[in-house]
Amino acid sequence: MPIKWILHWQPNAGTTVNTQILSEVSQCAESINGVKEGRWKTILSFYRAMVREQGSANEFPRDFVGISLAEQPSKYFLVIRGQRVVVEAESNIQMIMEKLQSYKTRFVLTFEGNQYQLGDFQLRVGKVVPTHSESLRGIVMEMEYQPISSCEKSHQIMGEFFDLWQEALSKRSLQGHFVHLEPNFTEYGLPDQYTLQHTAVQYASITAQMISTAQTVQPNRN
Amino acid sequence: MECVVQGIIETKHVEALEILLQGLCGVHRDSLRIHELCLKSVPNLGLVSSEVRLLCDLEQPEPTWTVRHIGGAMRGAGAEQISVLVRTMAESKVSQNALRLFYALGYKLDHELLRVGFAFHFNSGAPITVTVSSVNKMLKLHATDEAVPVTPGIQLVEVTAPASSENYTEVAKSMSSFCEYLAPLLHLSKPGVSTGVVPTAAAAAASLMSDGGGTTL
Repeated sequence: MPIKWILHWQPNAGTTVNTQILSEVSQCAESINGVKEGRWKTILSFYRAMVREQGSANEFPRDFVGISLAEQPSKYFLVIRGQRVVVEAESNIQMIMEKLQSYKTRFVLTFEGNQYQLGDFQLRVGKVVPTHSESLRGIVMEMEYQPISSCEKSHQIMGEFFDLWQEALSKRSLQGHFVHLEPNFTEYGLPDQYTLQHTAVQYASITAQMISTAQTVQPNRN
Repeated sequence: MECVVQGIIETKHVEALEILLQGLCGVHRDSLRIHELCLKSVPNLGLVSSEVRLLCDLEQPEPTWTVRHIGGAMRGAGAEQISVLVRTMAESKVSQNALRLFYALGYKLDHELLRVGFAFHFNSGAPITVTVSSVNKMLKLHATDEAVPVTPGIQLVEVTAPASSENYTEVAKSMSSFCEYLAPLLHLSKPGVSTGVVPTAAAAAASLMSDGGGTTL
């Protein structure tokens, strides 16, 4: 499966993400001759442990997420980032988790937007919103290079394309930039050949990054 | 949801049972070697305790994993009138890290078993699966190569069929009809209702072995 980088928008210090930035990013993709192909959607759910003793939820993972990816709605991915665990399952694992009643989904984020084809690259630009809300929490981009599946072999060409993209975007003088922080896939037991599990791990990782950024900007929010 | 009945048979009669099943089902048997890990939630996790099973199919070239949750059985007057157990059951194929995931989530290994035998998958009014297996325990943690039978000389026979709330009575009937053909060799009943071995088993087995299943039982 083709290599993919997933990037998230890092607002400049003192600023927040907004729909104007999202619009500019989409226009930028079109301005470099990206051909709009359709829509995409990925959903990430935060699971929280149900406990009998009040206040003891911290005994259990707080970074346990479930992810439904646009490419393969029949699958579901479970990630515990702190333990570097990723599991690929069928989508009915969600029903099994519900029946167990040990963990419940507390908060759900939707990543959705348009998809563009640029030669051998496929770009996806998306907003990040809580499900059933329009409150923009972030902006993500997926950058896929179709001819190569190896993480290592694709590094150079992906880096070059990323630099081109950043340069095109910089002309719009936006208050922020895209960041690519690749998780250590080896720590998750993942091979060099790219898979949907790599994508799931990236989504868990950028979500954590976005939450961390939001908490830095507004530390008293909770 | 699934319909289930179980029974036991002496190991010496398993070959005869296989001949009978081969004749009834019209399909080839599949070998079975399943490592079953039963996990239970730690005391503080969940408002009620929960159990989940991980099944590792060791018969495949690469071990494949399934998560299975078995829920409560149907109860009430309607359930008592049905000769099979109807219970909720959900399963999902998973990648190999599932055990690590459940340990990280707060599940502990309660017990593990190795089931070795064979299965027939066929259609008889409903998609039915018959598994015949010895149930083995491991003397050391996860040591599937060093498993010993829990009940030497006795094997477990399980007949299952997927069902829904709309069709479980029809599925139960199909299963019951099929199970009648096995009556000379073993008695099948709801799990938890033990009936022991069948007195006609030896004679029925001898008959099957002598002419390869041509005799009408």
